[in-house]
Amino acid sequence: MGKDHILVGLEIGTSKICVVVGESKPDGSIKILGVGHAPSRGVRKGEIVDFDTAQKCVHEALVDAEEKSDVMIQSVYVGITGSHISSFNNRGAVNVPEDQEEITDMDCENVRGAAKEVSIPSQNAFIHSILQHYYVDGQDGVLNPIGMIGGKLEADFHIIHGIGNRIKNTIRCVREIPLEVEDVVFNPLAAAQVVLNQNQKNLGALVIDIGGGTTDFLVYVDGAVKQTGVLAVGGDHITNDISMGLRIPMARAEKLKVEEGSVILGNSLPGETILLKDDHGFAGKEIERETLNTIIHMRMRETLELLRRTLLQRENYLDYLGAGVFITGGTSQLKGIDNLAQDIFEMPVHRTHAQTMSGLTSAFENPQFSTAIGLIKYAQAIQLDRPSGWLSRIKRKIPFFG
Amino acid sequence: MIQLNRNYHLVPQTNDTVKIKIVGLGGAGSNALDRIVLDGVESADLVAINSDVQSLTSSVANEKVQLGREATRGLGAGGDPEVGLTAAEEAIDEIRSALDGAGMVFLCVGLGGGTGSGAAPLVASIAKEQGALVVVFATMPFTFEGKRRSAQAHDALASLQIAADAVICFENDTMGDAVSPKAGIHQAFAAADETISQSVRAISQLFAHPGILHIGFDDLRAALANNNARCLFGHGEAEGDNRAHDALTRALKNPLMDRGRLLDDAHKILVNVAGGPGMTLNEVQILMEELGRHVGDESHILFGTAVDPKLGNRMSVTIISSISVGVQLPAARPARITAHVEPAPEPEPEPVPEVIEAATPEPEQELIADEEPVAPPPPKPAPVARPKPVIKAKPAAPELIPAADAKPKAEAKQETLQFEAITRGRFEKSEPTIVDGEDLDVPTFLRRNVKVK
Repeated sequence: MGKDHILVGLEIGTSKICVVVGESKPDGSIKILGVGHAPSRGVRKGEIVDFDTAQKCVHEALVDAEEKSDVMIQSVYVGITGSHISSFNNRGAVNVPEDQEEITDMDCENVRGAAKEVSIPSQNAFIHSILQHYYVDGQDGVLNPIGMIGGKLEADFHIIHGIGNRIKNTIRCVREIPLEVEDVVFNPLAAAQVVLNQNQKNLGALVIDIGGGTTDFLVYVDGAVKQTGVLAVGGDHITNDISMGLRIPMARAEKLKVEEGSVILGNSLPGETILLKDDHGFAGKEIERETLNTIIHMRMRETLELLRRTLLQRENYLDYLGAGVFITGGTSQLKGIDNLAQDIFEMPVHRTHAQTMSGLTSAFENPQFSTAIGLIKYAQAIQLDRPSGWLSRIKRKIPFFG
Repeated sequence: MIQLNRNYHLVPQTNDTVKIKIVGLGGAGSNALDRIVLDGVESADLVAINSDVQSLTSSVANEKVQLGREATRGLGAGGDPEVGLTAAEEAIDEIRSALDGAGMVFLCVGLGGGTGSGAAPLVASIAKEQGALVVVFATMPFTFEGKRRSAQAHDALASLQIAADAVICFENDTMGDAVSPKAGIHQAFAAADETISQSVRAISQLFAHPGILHIGFDDLRAALANNNARCLFGHGEAEGDNRAHDALTRALKNPLMDRGRLLDDAHKILVNVAGGPGMTLNEVQILMEELGRHVGDESHILFGTAVDPKLGNRMSVTIISSISVGVQLPAARPARITAHVEPAPEPEPEPVPEVIEAATPEPEQELIADEEPVAPPPPKPAPVARPKPVIKAKPAAPELIPAADAKPKAEAKQETLQFEAITRGRFEKSEPTIVDGEDLDVPTFLRRNVKVK
């Protein structure tokens, strides 16, 4: 890519909507020009439930981003999540025609098609098929088979799919603003691009993105995506638990969680209380700190244990995580969450945010923006990958359009 | 280099040894027969049997038998299996002579109506009497045709399962799914006939061309051995570079396969891969690996492969299996069975279950076991044509027990239900997140019964 290129990532989250505007430099680096965000309404567990309200919020965030970055936003990369998204690994195989010696890029396309020939529920659509490794005549670990001589080409893919109509709804929400949607990207895939560096991907890493409505995760082993998933439990659930357990309004519970909450038990003095102020600043209800922390701890422990069980269910990738666990997303700011995760996963846990960017440091040092920044990085990667020009762009139209 | 004649194992004469007769019985049966003729079938005699003269004259079969010259006077059986049966009994000698000398009889029949449901068991047993292997291709009526028809169809199916060597059962409901909702109704029925025609051809090929890895009749029976089963059938042919993959995709596209999803539940799956002399081991391997992904880990694959020079460059895959649809039948059956068989044991356990949930299943099972021998002996009359009472008693045992088993269990579960409403707070109206049976929207401390405050 010869010239500077403006890329925009849009994440429609459960608690906030954020738009990150970045500039892709010819040398492959990214400069963040501005970040716009707006509180989100009409989104539950990562999925739009109130179309009009959500659209308004997206619009607000866009205007905010345009003001801050001084860029007219025309097209965006949209991050998606939701419990309807699932994934699996699959191997595709094709025979190289006998009259042809070398493996061509056509064969690589065919093998991708073959890997997609699996039964997914009829209402589902493919979101990503991510290449892991090629095999040529059974020889494994081939990274680029084009030009090699072989008779049988196989490839492992990680395939992510979700309910087509729900994805379409998200796209429609954005297109009606109106904005062009360049592509939809599964959230953790985007976040992992900026949270991890190549070395960590090779060593093996687990990225957990705990947002407001969902907890998304992704496992990298040997530089390839091995497992992804969504658990529809997030920070909202903690707030809801606090609100119900302490009988206080949601807004108050949210504030209490952010300001006072911790997942560490036994750290408070016996009988230590937090004084809740009412709307006028007068002293209101007294709450025992240990009670608050117990509620948060139980929810977080359950969520992370569930995650661990999910990861162990298929293949035990936990043994291959040389670089450890990386927690990001808004809820990762919760006090003591890294200690709890370390306790559960029994390996080093890092709280991280987007790395190695230039521009607004305040933006990428906030774990809330990992996914939106990741979308830009992801966009840059696929644009470098694919030849530019209008023809190729038409060829690669997103299947959800129309 | 030593060159082996690749075709050494092909014994073309085998075609002559087994004489195949394809019989279309009733209206639906003759429609299917017409379709089979259209698609072309090798070395088989076609016999149409019907009570309706009009449809019989329009049939393309080379042998025709009219049922019930006296009983129905050339009209149909009017949806009454009893009439269908009397009509068939009238023409029993003609049926016998029509089926004479067949080594294998494929009986295509639409169940639910009069002629099909009534005469099919009789025709099947006549064929069996004459020493032929009998494979029945039965279609079950659409649900919208009414409960009466579906009950008649199930009765006939049960008798057929005893009278025939193998029953392949197609459900019109699932076959109807294959055609687009906008397609005309004749297209839906045509699709059903096509599926039957495909499977008849595929199975006749299976036996006509013994393969390198041979699939025998025993394999077919094993694959279809499920009682009350729904048949999974798929057949695909393809040529070109990717023919292995394409053929399998086509086979799985069959509506009876549901894109291979149903294969996961099947215990025994019969797979026959056939191709021209150019078919390579590698291709078979790719195909089987791909198929393996659709199949559960525990299922048994009965694999056969054959080289058929007629296929030329093409490759064909046939998948046959069955899964039991335990939900439907037991629900319909026990009611009738209880009415027939047991006047005494029913009232006894009925009032009790609420008190002794855990204990009830065993005594009840014993009760049935005791009852069992009493029921079957009396009905075993000489005419093979009316095996119905026997069948009713037989499946009663396996079906009634689960039904009786399930009842007390469900009640036990209900008692543990909390009557206090479980609150989900702000997630009240959103889609629940349920993992391992736990509703994660309910606060963890509530689910763990931890006291706060």
